[in-house]
Amino acid sequence: MTENMRGIGRRGLLKLSAAGWIAGAGGWVLRPSWGHAAGPIKMGIATDITGAIAPSGNANWQVAQFTVEKINAGGGIGGRPIELYLEDTASDPKIAVGNVRKLIQERRVDVVLGGITSAMRQAIKDPIVNRGRTLYIYPQLYEGQECTKFLYNTGPTPAQQCDRLIPYIIKTLGKKRFAMPSANYVWPQLLNKYARKVIEANGGEVVFEEYYPLDQAEYSATISKITDGKVDCVFNTIIPPGLQPFVKQLYESGFQKNGGVLSCVYYDENLLNYHPANEMEGLYSCLDYFQAVDDPFSKQLQIDYSKRFPDTKYLFTAGSASTGMYRGIKLYEAAVKANGGKLGREDVAEALDHASIPEGPGGGAEVVPGKWHCKMNMYIAVCRNDAGKTRYEVIDKETMVDPREC
Amino acid sequence: MDIAIKFAFDILAFTSVMVLIVLGLGVIASMMGIFNFAHGELVLLGAYTVYLSDEAGLGGWPGVIAAPIVVGAVGLALERTVIRRFYANPIIAMLGTYALGLMIREIVRGLLGGHYKSIPEPMGGVFGIGGLEFSVWRTFIIVVTMLVIAGSWLLLSRTSIGLKVRGALENPALARACGISTDLVYSLTFAFGAALAGLAGALIVPLYQLSADIGIRFLVQSFLSVMLGGVGTFEGPVLGAAAVGAMAAGLPWIVLPVLADPLVFVLALAVVRMRPQGFIAAGRI
Repeated sequence: MTENMRGIGRRGLLKLSAAGWIAGAGGWVLRPSWGHAAGPIKMGIATDITGAIAPSGNANWQVAQFTVEKINAGGGIGGRPIELYLEDTASDPKIAVGNVRKLIQERRVDVVLGGITSAMRQAIKDPIVNRGRTLYIYPQLYEGQECTKFLYNTGPTPAQQCDRLIPYIIKTLGKKRFAMPSANYVWPQLLNKYARKVIEANGGEVVFEEYYPLDQAEYSATISKITDGKVDCVFNTIIPPGLQPFVKQLYESGFQKNGGVLSCVYYDENLLNYHPANEMEGLYSCLDYFQAVDDPFSKQLQIDYSKRFPDTKYLFTAGSASTGMYRGIKLYEAAVKANGGKLGREDVAEALDHASIPEGPGGGAEVVPGKWHCKMNMYIAVCRNDAGKTRYEVIDKETMVDPREC
Repeated sequence: MDIAIKFAFDILAFTSVMVLIVLGLGVIASMMGIFNFAHGELVLLGAYTVYLSDEAGLGGWPGVIAAPIVVGAVGLALERTVIRRFYANPIIAMLGTYALGLMIREIVRGLLGGHYKSIPEPMGGVFGIGGLEFSVWRTFIIVVTMLVIAGSWLLLSRTSIGLKVRGALENPALARACGISTDLVYSLTFAFGAALAGLAGALIVPLYQLSADIGIRFLVQSFLSVMLGGVGTFEGPVLGAAAVGAMAAGLPWIVLPVLADPLVFVLALAVVRMRPQGFIAAGRI
């Protein structure tokens, strides 16, 4: 090594690492178009812009921009605009922890919203809530049991997804023998635990509950158990990529043709094109919002969203944490308004505990005091096949369903 | 009895999928000594071809027919530009092909926006025999797999092309001295393996979803199949794939599904330990 090279090496390295700091701290910032003497309210979004679940993450980020732009256009929160900071959690908890710290330590945001998978929530909640001493809002439907102070959950819980749907399947559709084929991770495990209780309490029976590797490609053994066991309702929690071969083999077995019901509580508009229309037909889902919900506010929201993001492939749906993101931001707005604009974590949390919004996708929402979860409307929808095109038809609604958590 | 027939059909259908995927990998590994880690992505490109033809409103068939040709051409281009630099060093070849695969995969992921796409079978539905129903497309896959195995075997073992390929593999210097262009033979062999991968992708994609990772899920099992069957022959990888496919589909009938996957590996590795050369020792083809 020559003297010259060593010099470059050392200085170059220093420069490089400095550049890394700057680029790394960059993230994305969405600044409001106007200001306020007290400065903006800083809102951090930590979501999966890249990696395996990027489609959901990008939908989340678009909904966050959409919602914040609407609030800013309407005069901000108590006269102060919201400044939005985005950090990519990259579908990878290890990367996420570092990036979320930037939101807290460098950006000094007043609140963080985001995280989609439970693994992500578990990874980033400590840097946000404990070490970061910042308010955290988690927007995705999930398996429940997250009772952490200063962590608010704005997506549906197992109770909200099961309490209406399962009695509907048993009492209205008359299907009593359930099979629970599931992907082997935490959400199906805990959701099934709750669903089983509801099934048994309503006079139904679980014929089998079984877990598969996430990318299993072949389900003939499972299908044979379903046909042998005279199962008449499949409560599915298999997720992609293992999902499609399962649904296809189930359809080929003639299960639906012989009167069987397939239900799956995470199916939203994104999944309408996941299977050929004939395999989707008659599938039951239960979520806090469907685009088919007949509610003027929700309809206008969709129109505005498609105006803001024309031809986007990232839809505003319930399954990708987007409705929870909207709800989270609006509840935060309501809380800060209610406490007179104070942004301290304790002040906002106290107001958030009693916060409610009158309108939203699928209807309003209210936080259950002391429970860190929200009451919201829940809808049962069934998938219809119109000559090869699939759509959901909402067939049942319950207002302000209790999350039954904590 | 009904159950037994259904069971046999399901196992046969999945085994065919497995064999179809392994065939191209096996040909390249056996004939050229290259473990092609981009194989999964060649399968993906075959699947993607069907998706493009379906998106263009042409339906699946043109895509299924075009896939082996398109992916064969991609294989030819890759061999000419990149792969041939690796022949001297099989370890580097693994890393190099892995990098190629990664590039192809991430490009396709970008094109798909990370989404999963469903592709309907060009021939969908079921047909009944004696009160039992069978999937038309799975039956088609079984038939095509048999034909492809027979065709490939005849090509490699019964024609003068096959003789040249085997000669070029056995003793490249002597083959060149006999006027065989080993460069050309290697290019064509790789393209042939790639074309088989493309066909596999095109045929299996209606059974699964098109996603950038469609090839990955089969890759490790495919390598296991080649090891199990033995490198250096045509029949070895086919038999290996049949064994792995049958185990992967059959084990969930008797053990917990989460245990079935690792058990396939345990059983296969136990066999490889006892018979390191695989089912069939090298040197036949």
